[in-house]
Amino acid sequence: MSSSHAKDFSFWGGRIPPEIESMSKNLKDVDQELFRKLMKAVVSSLEGKDCVSLMKSIAESTTIPQDRLGHIVAGMHRVLSEAIRIPPSSLKQEAFKENLRELRIPEDFISDFSSVVFGNRRSALETATSTNDPHLPALQDFKWRVDVAISTSSLSRALRSSVLMQMKLSDGSFHCFEVPLSKFQELRYNTALILKEMNDLEKRSILQIQD
Amino acid sequence: MTSIIKETQSIKEAVTFINAIDVNKFSRLISRIIQKLHLKGERTFSEDEEQKLQTALSLDKQALDLVLETTAFILEQAVYHNVKPVALQQQLEAVHLNPDKAEMFSQTWAATGPELVEKLKNNIFAPKKLEYVGWQLNLQMAQSSQARLKSPSAVLQLGLRKEDSEVQENVFADFNHQELLEFYNKLEVVQGQLDSLT
Repeated sequence: MSSSHAKDFSFWGGRIPPEIESMSKNLKDVDQELFRKLMKAVVSSLEGKDCVSLMKSIAESTTIPQDRLGHIVAGMHRVLSEAIRIPPSSLKQEAFKENLRELRIPEDFISDFSSVVFGNRRSALETATSTNDPHLPALQDFKWRVDVAISTSSLSRALRSSVLMQMKLSDGSFHCFEVPLSKFQELRYNTALILKEMNDLEKRSILQIQD
Repeated sequence: MTSIIKETQSIKEAVTFINAIDVNKFSRLISRIIQKLHLKGERTFSEDEEQKLQTALSLDKQALDLVLETTAFILEQAVYHNVKPVALQQQLEAVHLNPDKAEMFSQTWAATGPELVEKLKNNIFAPKKLEYVGWQLNLQMAQSSQARLKSPSAVLQLGLRKEDSEVQENVFADFNHQELLEFYNKLEVVQGQLDSLT
């Protein structure tokens, strides 16, 4: 048992997830080319793309049985999703590699994993996986118009300004509504207030909550 | 200034009837009418009330209808042209309304007129109107795909109401810091436009 302090923290949490364990047992006879093809397919699927045909062609190109490939792919998927969950400030590359070494995964494969988790494709992966998380709709499109009502059927000289807003949210819903001036001021004031609170929160939280 | 009440045949008729009504009774009538003037499509008096009015004012149904419509019309014209109370009084006397009734119109207009104009200015023409702004600031600590976040997120609640409905529709939108800042900058541009109008 190594006394390295990396033992105190594995990026996958407490117990070794079964997928990762079974992957490490199934990597015999897998050459780097096959490994990299499988990795590519897994990354593709994490980014949300469909990779059924890609997997089929990989399965056809090798003698390794499909169920073994299945174990490897499942393990890769778990390793990558767990590693990407943790911000790079908390999980350093060396620690990540140490954890994988403990599973006796070949060094070349460890470098491949590492280049995905700590490489320049990481932020695209983070964005892609976070879209599946529950969240309220975000404002996708915001258009507005300032109107001045000069005259109406009840008033020949109304001269009343108002704001017309059109919001499209990320869940596809579409809202078009008028904002009376007083409500506009309220909206503007409250938005500024939230921004100020966010700033205060960000200043404080960095000091208080340690990783 | 142009007269806002032209002396048509029906105005002449209405004036005759109005002049015959007792001053106190007319005062209550006109107050009620001006209060309900901004409401579209609502009857000022219920069927029952109209029956009672017919008896109280000794007018048949047609005559009562004419009186109510004409009184409302006079007030609507006053609002539309935003006349001064004095001018209103003069114009009414010009169509041979008795001075006591003309003065009553003028006083009611002076007292309740401005409020009525404000209400009408605020009558909406848009499909929905923003009535309520609420918000919540959250500090998101983690989600399924990301641990140790500490990212502030704001939820904005906008209460929208359709014109003829009592029901408020709530719209919820999530903003992170950057998104909220962009939204705020757009609101500032709108404010700039509003400022340039005054």
